[in-house]
Amino acid sequence: MIQAEGLSKTFFVHRKEPGLWGSVKSLVKRTKEPRHAVRGVSFHVGPGEIVGLVGANGAGKTTVVKMLAGIIVPTAGRARVLGYDPWLRDNRMRAQIALIMGQKAQLWWDLPAADCFLLLREIYQIPRQRFDEGLAYLAETLDVDQQLNVQIRRLSLGERMKMELIAALLHSPRVCFLDEPTIGLDLTAQRAIREFLLRYRQDHQPAMLLTSHYMEDIERLCKRILIIRRGELVFDGPLAEVAERYAQHKMVAVELSHEVDRQQLARELEGLGEILPPEEGHEADLGLRLRTPRAQVAALAGRLLQLLPVTDLSIEEEEIGNIIARIMQEREDENENEEGDEE
Amino acid sequence: MRAGLALQVFSVEARKLMSYRTDFWINTVAVFAAKMVVAYYLWTAVFAESGRTTIGGFTQDGMILYYLLAILIGRVVSGGERQMSISQDIYQGSLTRYLIYPTGYGAIKYVEHLGTLVPSLLQLVLFSGVASLLFDFSQLGAVTFASLLRTAVAVAVGNVLLFLMLYVIQGVAFWADNVWSLQVMLRFITSMLGGLMLPLDLFPAWARQILEILPFQTLYYFPVMTLLGRIDTGEWLRTLAVALVWCAMIGGVAHIVWRRGYREYTGVGI
Repeated sequence: MIQAEGLSKTFFVHRKEPGLWGSVKSLVKRTKEPRHAVRGVSFHVGPGEIVGLVGANGAGKTTVVKMLAGIIVPTAGRARVLGYDPWLRDNRMRAQIALIMGQKAQLWWDLPAADCFLLLREIYQIPRQRFDEGLAYLAETLDVDQQLNVQIRRLSLGERMKMELIAALLHSPRVCFLDEPTIGLDLTAQRAIREFLLRYRQDHQPAMLLTSHYMEDIERLCKRILIIRRGELVFDGPLAEVAERYAQHKMVAVELSHEVDRQQLARELEGLGEILPPEEGHEADLGLRLRTPRAQVAALAGRLLQLLPVTDLSIEEEEIGNIIARIMQEREDENENEEGDEE
Repeated sequence: MRAGLALQVFSVEARKLMSYRTDFWINTVAVFAAKMVVAYYLWTAVFAESGRTTIGGFTQDGMILYYLLAILIGRVVSGGERQMSISQDIYQGSLTRYLIYPTGYGAIKYVEHLGTLVPSLLQLVLFSGVASLLFDFSQLGAVTFASLLRTAVAVAVGNVLLFLMLYVIQGVAFWADNVWSLQVMLRFITSMLGGLMLPLDLFPAWARQILEILPFQTLYYFPVMTLLGRIDTGEWLRTLAVALVWCAMIGGVAHIVWRRGYREYTGVGI
């Protein structure tokens, strides 16, 4: 349902020298520099799939979404959404897609939500009965049925986001682009929206592409993720595979019967693992968390049992969010080094 | 665009504008009164100083009446100054929502623009009533159904033409950081050469000949003179034909500007 092949986008940004003279010069001549936002990205999303698109700020996630939704035209490559070229903006395609932007209100600020939905009913030509039933179901599920007659501008962020979701899903789209749909929301609202999206997926089997900075969104909603770094796709696969491929460490947690000298222990465990600082609020706990290379897990566990008064021991995979964050950070560092070398 | 959608967009826009009650009344009373007072005293002074009974074919009362109609009809032709929202849609990325919807942006914006005319039409009716008590309307001649229909057609064509001009200018926002100065320039040119600032009969003959083939006179001068009954049928049809040719030409330019502009759009803000 969503296909991207070698999708690239280069923006040209104006550069202006600082200061008054720079401003004067820019009146006559402006320097344009290319910025490669997306480079050769290829992937596909099938029906019923929610695929997470993750990457650091400026990695190119939103640019990919914009190209696939037909908002901007790619510099190279091709894409098909429901069999259409998205940037030709065929009405038959647009009638079947939705774009939800957490950072940008799409509804009409001055109107009550109910009026916005009526307008959308006309835009998408939704039959009256289907519209009434759909709206009642969505508003009740998202618990905003009492706010339908309130002006959008007077709603809380969470309520507004729920209205945006309703607006985007009223016409039962077969392809949904969700760009940061839970940004800025409290935990309850985030959870409600996640649950709602899962239910929508179950009922309608749309293809969904989700970008989010909240790893919980990704972990709860997506079985498959795409990792994008500096505009390049560096991973496309099951979420579970990220740990296998990129987690070079495991987490070992031990419960102790009494306190031990951490500095001395760190010296004794040198080469086997690193003692992590206690989590916030757990400073007084009689326990230790250690990060160890996968090959050293058995050796570390044996050494801990030998050295410490251990009452409990567990070995876990590193948190997926940390792994992804590290992959992105490593790449950022690599690029900075490369740029440094070039200079 | 389907009629149901057009009606909905039209109604939403009209309701939105009329919900700003203070703005509606300030626009209605204060702006109209200020313009009329200036026109009245200026032309009273001009007639008194010149010692002439007619200027450009207008008596003093005729001139005041021209201004009254130009201001009222002008509001219907130019709408509620909402066209700036098009460039704001481009700058702020609100255009994105319309690119997702299965409908044309230009058509929606034109219907929104028509929605903004509702307060202007209300003002037209309200002030025509008040003005008929204050001014001598005998200059108006016989107002018939046919003359009102011709005026309505002239107003409608002027409205489309001005919207198309603004649609082109606003589309420049795809490339330029600011289109405000262009909009001000256009407003000045259309007011001056379109007959809002003064009747085009006051221009020299050679300028009148040029203005007859330009699109501007259709905006204000043409509908006002039609209502005043000072344009015969032949001239009315010829002016209308010129206006329609300009509509087609400016519409073509708008199509090209926007088609290219969409390629430049970056959808900022998301």
